[in-house]
Amino acid sequence: MPADPTRRFVTTTIEIEGREETKVVEMPDRAMEPWDDGVRLDIVGQPVPRVDARDKVTGSAVYTVDRWLPGMLYAVLVRSNIPRGRAKVINLDDARRVPGFVDAIVFDDLPKDGKPIRAGGVRFLDPDISYAGQPLACVCAESLKQARAAARRVHIEYDAEPFAATAAQAVAPGAPSVRSRGGNVSRSSPMIAARGDADSALAGADVVVRIRCTTPSALHSAMEPHGAVAEWRGDQVTIHEGTQGIFAVRDEVAAALGMPKSHVRVVMDHMGGGFGAKNHAGAHTYAAALLARRTGRPVRCILERAAEQSDAGHRAPATIDVALGAERDGRLTAIVADALVDQGISGWESSTTKIFHELYACPNVKTTETFAYTNTHAMAAFRGPGHTEGAFALERAMDELARTLGMDPLALRVANYAAHDQEKSRPYSGGNLKGCLEEGARRFGWADRQNRGQIRFSQTESTAAASGLRKIESDPDSGHVKRGFGLAAQIWPAGGGPPAYATVRIHPDGSVDVLSGTQDLGTGARTILAQVAAEALGAKLADVRVILGDTERTPFAPNSWGSMTTPSVAPAVRMAAEEAREQLVEAASEILGIPVEHLTIRDGMVVPCTGAPAVPISDITAKLGEVTITGNGSRGPNQPGVGLMTFGAQFAEVEVDTWTGVVRVIRLTAVHDVGRVLNPLLARSQLEGGIIQGIGLALFEERIIDESLGVPLNAGLHEYKIPTMADIPEIDASCLDTVDTVANPVGARGLAEPPIIPTAPAIANAVADALGVQLNDLPLTPWRVLAALADL
Amino acid sequence: MHLSINGVVRELTPDPIESLADTLRTRLHLTGTKVSCERGECGSCTVLLNGRVVYACLTITNACEGAEVTTIEGLAVPGGLHPVQRAFIDHDAVQCGFCTPGQVLAAVALLAATPVPDESEIRRAMSGNLCRCGTYPRIVAAIRAAAGQVQEPSHAG
Repeated sequence: MPADPTRRFVTTTIEIEGREETKVVEMPDRAMEPWDDGVRLDIVGQPVPRVDARDKVTGSAVYTVDRWLPGMLYAVLVRSNIPRGRAKVINLDDARRVPGFVDAIVFDDLPKDGKPIRAGGVRFLDPDISYAGQPLACVCAESLKQARAAARRVHIEYDAEPFAATAAQAVAPGAPSVRSRGGNVSRSSPMIAARGDADSALAGADVVVRIRCTTPSALHSAMEPHGAVAEWRGDQVTIHEGTQGIFAVRDEVAAALGMPKSHVRVVMDHMGGGFGAKNHAGAHTYAAALLARRTGRPVRCILERAAEQSDAGHRAPATIDVALGAERDGRLTAIVADALVDQGISGWESSTTKIFHELYACPNVKTTETFAYTNTHAMAAFRGPGHTEGAFALERAMDELARTLGMDPLALRVANYAAHDQEKSRPYSGGNLKGCLEEGARRFGWADRQNRGQIRFSQTESTAAASGLRKIESDPDSGHVKRGFGLAAQIWPAGGGPPAYATVRIHPDGSVDVLSGTQDLGTGARTILAQVAAEALGAKLADVRVILGDTERTPFAPNSWGSMTTPSVAPAVRMAAEEAREQLVEAASEILGIPVEHLTIRDGMVVPCTGAPAVPISDITAKLGEVTITGNGSRGPNQPGVGLMTFGAQFAEVEVDTWTGVVRVIRLTAVHDVGRVLNPLLARSQLEGGIIQGIGLALFEERIIDESLGVPLNAGLHEYKIPTMADIPEIDASCLDTVDTVANPVGARGLAEPPIIPTAPAIANAVADALGVQLNDLPLTPWRVLAALADL
Repeated sequence: MHLSINGVVRELTPDPIESLADTLRTRLHLTGTKVSCERGECGSCTVLLNGRVVYACLTITNACEGAEVTTIEGLAVPGGLHPVQRAFIDHDAVQCGFCTPGQVLAAVALLAATPVPDESEIRRAMSGNLCRCGTYPRIVAAIRAAAGQVQEPSHAG
């Protein structure tokens, strides 16, 4: 916390997914003692089960798709099937004749006052088409079946125009104009960042390696599609939306419809995954809100799976050229990277090259990055955006450097360990990449990997035989199944920051509500906030209920993005609980006639240190009756001059079948440093989840656009492959035992995104190790493996 | 037509090609059964039909005359959870929870057929149920823990 107590408002910096934001924030009026290493915590840090797990295993958890309101209509978006041009006629006549049809809207029906509504990077229902799948109309009917039937009967006449389906096409000379307004690259392109003199250093380096890497368009593929259910009461609208940012959706809807923010209520209880794709209002949100207003009835608009896989965000594909220069002892002297990123029709500049400036010590770094627009659907942040793609290119290049130098890949990374933030010449709040590398290597058995691999192999073979899979030859290295080992590292900003608010109130029976307008995407936010509140209040965990996700009834908290919910919201909850605890102690003092300084609260009991009997919290609150104890808390500013980063290292063992090209990950070890782990049970789940999505990125996942038609070819969960249970290796995921009270008084940084970042390069490095041939294009499909082997 | 759903016989007049998922969710508001792809690709809508695992999105209600359907709402025994549900909670085999009802029912059917499955049997039986959060290792752990203490679901045939 900044020291000057006379300043009520201070300026602070927050780093969200690589973007820096500067905010003026109010200093909290309470100080919190840091939960340092020596502080005894009874509930925080315990592996308690998810507080909402029972609702989820019994089917009683309510998601947006489960909202059925009386009189509700079903809306379906009608989408373009060409990538560029104009819908010159949209004929609704046949649609109107479908039984059950109620209403339809096209661009001309939208409110004309104010700025045009934008969704997915284009004007909502714009007849000027800039990608296949762009919404052009929306129909609603009494049933979903009828709405779909009506949508099929909307007849559209197109004027088709030339398009660019890839970044290379979009930046080629004479490329067609991708967008109706603006050029084919973002305004800030090329984005150049440099320190030192990388070109000269590269020219003078003892050893130089150069590689080109490509990463695919990966689709978030949350199991619950995007959706909204809207209901009007007079001039106020309530929107149920499965979103990572209830306040962002509120603000966007209010702006789009020209309404006060107070008149838009966004509600989210449970949601079926987000992964970065659900940070904003979308076409479905505006369609539901507008049709509900026109019809005077609730309207739901839930994306069908094909729409979810073709117009709901994706990881922007990137082509990254990397050159590394090094001394003979392995120390990096130059890093040069040049990236071309395919945003789709819109998006933010999620830098794939920032990690080149951060991960390893190097005095000379230069990166050049061009963000191209293409006639495909807009990108959206996808778990570790930018860094995941960049880590693949950088860590692949590091392995090639190690091979060129004849150096162990682990030793090369340790030799280039960066103990501080080189870009900003500042220390890190905590965190230790070297510790992750060393602990990971120990757990994996890196030094002895060849021998351990052999031992492991016999187990794999017996598993394969038991499952009826084809028996693998007994000696992989002399047969067609090759074994390899690889590692990769990660850095990621995950310190969070203000503003975030929370309220804690205690009912007369001693039960506790925690209110904060954050979201639980499946991350476990509800659970860890309950733990923090119970700990700080001295209540029993079972007595604490966490209420999230309601812009009207819970205080502001930021979008659940950038691994920032824990480090942003947990300190606010702790402060609110401490304020409530202080009041509770004062009330108990008055009721019991014992001085405040002789009272503590623990495990639901008010405990006098005078030897007098302990009294349940509920006895005190019962005596207070409706005199309600309420505590408020807010997230204080970040310390200036400190980098709030997470670190991690992952190690993979793979088998590659050189006959079929199939890559199997056998085992994967992950060690991350995220500060205090508030709940190790949930932390392990989140680490494993990130790693498993990383396995998908490494081996299976790639959206394919037909370049001659400009339409996606695999917009389904059969054609677009995400990992299944059969694809999962043995995963050993853990965190270093650290506490980071420089970052915030709770001592925790974020954990959600870091684990996906090093997975794909660790696997690709293991494949390169197995085959002795580089594979630098993700995903590592059998076809790519066989092609690489054919080139030998 | 008649269906027994979670032990209660229901008289229904579904549309000719109405899916069982639609009947459960839209007609009966049993929303524990989730729909994610509507094409039999993801397993979110898994229910038990006469004790067997089916994808409700690909099952035509009219073809189920007289059948016994168990959904996630019918799994818990009065006053407690099914052992598989208990194990899913204890082993954190749940993140966003959207695929969870289908995973739980697929696991129940697996254990009814193979009371003590080995890991490869678990993987094979559960591969039809996608989970994007990546709870798979925890699901394996939960099923292993529940193995041997699981009885037939009370309403399955």
